[in-house]
Amino acid sequence: MRLSRIQITNFRNFKSLDVALSEHAVIVGENKIGKSNLVYALRLLLDPTLPDSARQLREEDFWDGLERPLSGDNEIRIALEITDFEDNPKLLAVLAEHLVAVEPMTARLTYVLRPIQTLEGPPVKDSDFEFFIFGGESEENIVSYELRRRLPMDVFPALRDAEGDLANWRRSPLRPLLEKAAGAVDKAALEEIAQRVSDASDEIAAVPEIAALNIAVTDRLNEMVGGSHAVNVTLGLTPSDADRLIRALRLFIDSGKRGISEASLGSANLIYLALKALELRQLVEEGNRDHTFLAIEEPEAHLHPHLQRLVYRDFLHTRQQPEAEQGAEEAAEVETNRTTFLTTHSPHIVSVTPLRSLVLLRKAEDRLSTEAASTAEVELDEKDVADLERYLDVTRGEIVFSRAVLLVEGDAECFVVPILAKLIGHDLDELGISVCSVSGTNFAPYIKLLGDEGLGIPFAVITDYDPTDDGGSLGVNRLTALLELITGEEPDFEDEAALLGAAEAMGIFLNEYTFEVDFFRCGRHKSLCNTLSELTTNGAAKKRAAAWKEDPNSLDPDQMLEDIDAIAKGRFAQRLASRLKGDACPKYIRDAVTFLAEKCV
Amino acid sequence: MTDYKTAAEELRDNPGQWKAYESPGSCVILAGPGSGKTKALTIKMARMLAEDVQRPSGIACITYSTECARELQKRLGKLGIAEGSNVFIGTVHSFSLKHIVSPFAWLSDLGLPREFTVASVSDQERIFTESLKATIGDENPWNYRGRFERYRRTYLDRESKEFTSVDSEIAGLVADYEKRLIAESVVDFDSMILWGLQLIERHEWVRKAIKARFPILVVDEYQDLGLTLHRMVLALCQKAGVRLVAVGDPDQSIYGFAGSMPKLLKELAKAEWVEPVSLKFNYRCGRRIVAASLTALGEEREYESKVKQQGTINFYECPEGIAQQATFIIEEIIPAVLKQVPGLVVGKIAVLYGDRNDGSVIAAAAEAAKIKYVRIDAGAAYRRTPLTRWLEDCAAWCVSGWKSQEPPLSGLIKKWLSFNRAAKGDVDRAALRQKLVTFLFAHREPTLLLREWLRDFYKSCLGSTLKDEPAMRDEAEAFKGLVQATAETKDLAEFNIATFSGQGGSPEHLNLITLHSAKGLEFEVVVMMGMDQGRIPRWDASSPAAISEARRLFYVGLTRAKQQIHMTFSGFTEDKYGRRHKKGPSIFLTELQQKFAEDVQT
Repeated sequence: MRLSRIQITNFRNFKSLDVALSEHAVIVGENKIGKSNLVYALRLLLDPTLPDSARQLREEDFWDGLERPLSGDNEIRIALEITDFEDNPKLLAVLAEHLVAVEPMTARLTYVLRPIQTLEGPPVKDSDFEFFIFGGESEENIVSYELRRRLPMDVFPALRDAEGDLANWRRSPLRPLLEKAAGAVDKAALEEIAQRVSDASDEIAAVPEIAALNIAVTDRLNEMVGGSHAVNVTLGLTPSDADRLIRALRLFIDSGKRGISEASLGSANLIYLALKALELRQLVEEGNRDHTFLAIEEPEAHLHPHLQRLVYRDFLHTRQQPEAEQGAEEAAEVETNRTTFLTTHSPHIVSVTPLRSLVLLRKAEDRLSTEAASTAEVELDEKDVADLERYLDVTRGEIVFSRAVLLVEGDAECFVVPILAKLIGHDLDELGISVCSVSGTNFAPYIKLLGDEGLGIPFAVITDYDPTDDGGSLGVNRLTALLELITGEEPDFEDEAALLGAAEAMGIFLNEYTFEVDFFRCGRHKSLCNTLSELTTNGAAKKRAAAWKEDPNSLDPDQMLEDIDAIAKGRFAQRLASRLKGDACPKYIRDAVTFLAEKCV
Repeated sequence: MTDYKTAAEELRDNPGQWKAYESPGSCVILAGPGSGKTKALTIKMARMLAEDVQRPSGIACITYSTECARELQKRLGKLGIAEGSNVFIGTVHSFSLKHIVSPFAWLSDLGLPREFTVASVSDQERIFTESLKATIGDENPWNYRGRFERYRRTYLDRESKEFTSVDSEIAGLVADYEKRLIAESVVDFDSMILWGLQLIERHEWVRKAIKARFPILVVDEYQDLGLTLHRMVLALCQKAGVRLVAVGDPDQSIYGFAGSMPKLLKELAKAEWVEPVSLKFNYRCGRRIVAASLTALGEEREYESKVKQQGTINFYECPEGIAQQATFIIEEIIPAVLKQVPGLVVGKIAVLYGDRNDGSVIAAAAEAAKIKYVRIDAGAAYRRTPLTRWLEDCAAWCVSGWKSQEPPLSGLIKKWLSFNRAAKGDVDRAALRQKLVTFLFAHREPTLLLREWLRDFYKSCLGSTLKDEPAMRDEAEAFKGLVQATAETKDLAEFNIATFSGQGGSPEHLNLITLHSAKGLEFEVVVMMGMDQGRIPRWDASSPAAISEARRLFYVGLTRAKQQIHMTFSGFTEDKYGRRHKKGPSIFLTELQQKFAEDVQT
């Protein structure tokens, strides 16, 4: 089962949000953009522990952009669509009466807060509003508490007190696990152990020094309040009653040397998450619920980057990668019972997020409301998905946090372009623009990911003309294909100039030869030739570099590329970047940077 | 409340009941009269609910009529089972409407929109008349209605050759009528289940959804439920693997006109995927009554009476006709049995008869003798619908229920809110609840005239619901009928709310019931009136099937009695033009008389 769509109208940051989801959701966005409000919207429909007084939203929960006082037809509406449940009879039993589509089978739950229908005049106070939750398309189909109980949402809030919860037996996630285990323990064996514990306890208490202390305490109590009020105290290890023995068990860390209260915040959070995950699984297995929506706010709290990656890779990926020690079948069944929502700023968590689970919140064009983009429905094949996931992993999800992305072919551009941009007056870091190397010329999956069907992040592409022996250009073909991908129409232009113009309007910029050659020709031939002669160990190449430096018109482009390749392009570009001064810049790079900079203002 | 395991101990000594209780899969329980089938069924259902299904899945329990459903709800309530998200108890019509047609029809190719309502009786008549005019011509609807209904229930597949060819004229009428229902976004009684069946048979996802919710289907009174339900059951059980527990008695199949046939249950009991179980003990009728009923039925059955008394059967000839029979029953038979049987009250006596015309005759005799009665037939003063039933309960609460908590106020409120589907918010619902409770508390006066009580009820809360709720259109008509019956010149003019509340059955009310409506009920003493040839079997019953059904109806009447049966006859019938048809007493009566007559009085 999965949540396939969320629609929110007029609730807090959201004027009109409509976002598709896949298996899990990792919700990314700047502070105050509404990440927690999105989780709260889900809780209104799914959290059984939320009291009705909290479900009764107030006037201030309406979107700020609505004119105040509110009018009689303003309403807050939150709708969730759920799919992939038809093969689970229990989920089907709960959701079948709320269907809105059959292929694929989709159920919908809707929360509505609106002015009371019998109200005369506009609503003026909180009690003029009423809420209800219905299933399917009929408002009369009221959804009961039962459904929230079967498909509950659990929330670990941002300010969770893992340490405190672990130390408090009533709140400890260990409690339900131990209680279940206790139920299965052989009573006779337990009695025997209890007896031995009791014996050991008595032995310690009988040690003369300890016994003397016990007597001293008892005497002092007697002196203070007299025999009839004094409390009978004994020193011992643990209640010797067999039933209580298991409840007295505590978690220890460092091979039992230290108690959990001495654990670092990080360890406490880690243990807390592990115990909670076990508890949720147990609840489904015992039939108390059929699915869990688990929302963790700021999951990165107190966890070291490597732990973040390990823990949440486990939370988010389990469906495809069943834990090794379990039977594959069992693991698959257990893990499909949980949908995880994370609201995070952490690049480490984004880096392990399944590609289709990214949800990006950002300001809409009106600057008053928040809109969402997700990758759930981007058209990508499995190979593209794997490539992009690997890229996100290696770059720690950088592009997800970017305000705009410049897609380039290789490492050379990655090293040089940011420096060039700064020299022409655009600091990419300051603007929030990332330069992303696609390691080749396969731009398409990146464009799909960033484009309007995906994350909706502004992007530009710079790519090489790459002339062919027969006078054609690989770059023009590439550009034509990308233009078609972006506009959805087959490009049809009178001449190449028109084509290039149209492509530039879409953010695709072509040079005249290749990066290094265009760089040479933009007036930076001296620094390029200096770098070449510094790095090469080939005498002939050194000579050629000196000659090209003297007379730029004598350049043999193919020979120069060969010489740079011999050094390795990346190393060459890195060294080259360190030498740059002045504002000379190949036109296509200048155009692309300016194009993006304008989008980021 | 009784734990089902404790209750089940009562089944242990009855091999049939115990076998049913222990049956692990689908089973069909063939249960004769008084065999304790409801007990066995309810305890088994409690067990399955506790042991065989896990929430959110549950059990749907389907039965023939609202009355039967009420009885089951009461019995299951004593075992701690109430209707809820995982338990359905109701008629096949309400099941189909609530769990199949409402949630799924609009998602299929049926053409019904998301929002539809239940057509009121007058809407149905109007649409039928329009349809008749459009397809056949300007004819009298009554000449076609019966054929139309039988045809609809017999040939279920609208695309089949059978449907179009057996009677193409009626087929055209049915097709046109059903198209009009869809165009007006309404369903009628028959289409509730016909469309439910279509959805189940055509769509695997519908079967899957129903199975997920209700992996076990319990059907009571199977013999009465007709071909539509039979095919629903087959599709759900054979194609989707739903488990079936069906109970019924082919010998009591008396609704041929509604499409039910004894052979459906007989066939089902022989299917390889079900375990057949027979209940042979009769805990209701005396030995003599069991023997007489089997003679009347003309079949071999291994039934064994577990009742101490023998039971008696008496025959009375009233040569002057049906009115004399009625007077004789009221003035002679009933006073005599009341004197003879210690502790007997009129509420334990029933007079059974053929149809509403006979009902009016006996009702008039009872009225003349100032005997209070409950009348259940088509000529009753008002229709028995969920609303009028609920009104009876409200009246009972106003009379004394507020002291005894019977019926409980919470149940009345729950039902009231279910009538008001448009009220969704807490505020609206609280207001509705308050209006009802205020009305009920202000009207706790047993001698209040029903007319006034209804008028106040309408003004203070019923009115807006009946006017505004689209789903209550038919109930609004039923309510109007009830109000009209309380007019000063009508039958219920003298009714106060105490008499009205007794209409659900009470110790002080004599039961006047048609043979058909008596099914499932039991009485200490049964008087069968009008046992004349031409009445039973009816003059127009000519086919062997029709004679057999009449015989089963006669059998149903006999097997309602615990201690005594009294039969009256005149030897002739009179038609509506006053002509006498001297066909003698009913052949069924004659057969019995030869073997069991103890006394013939004139």
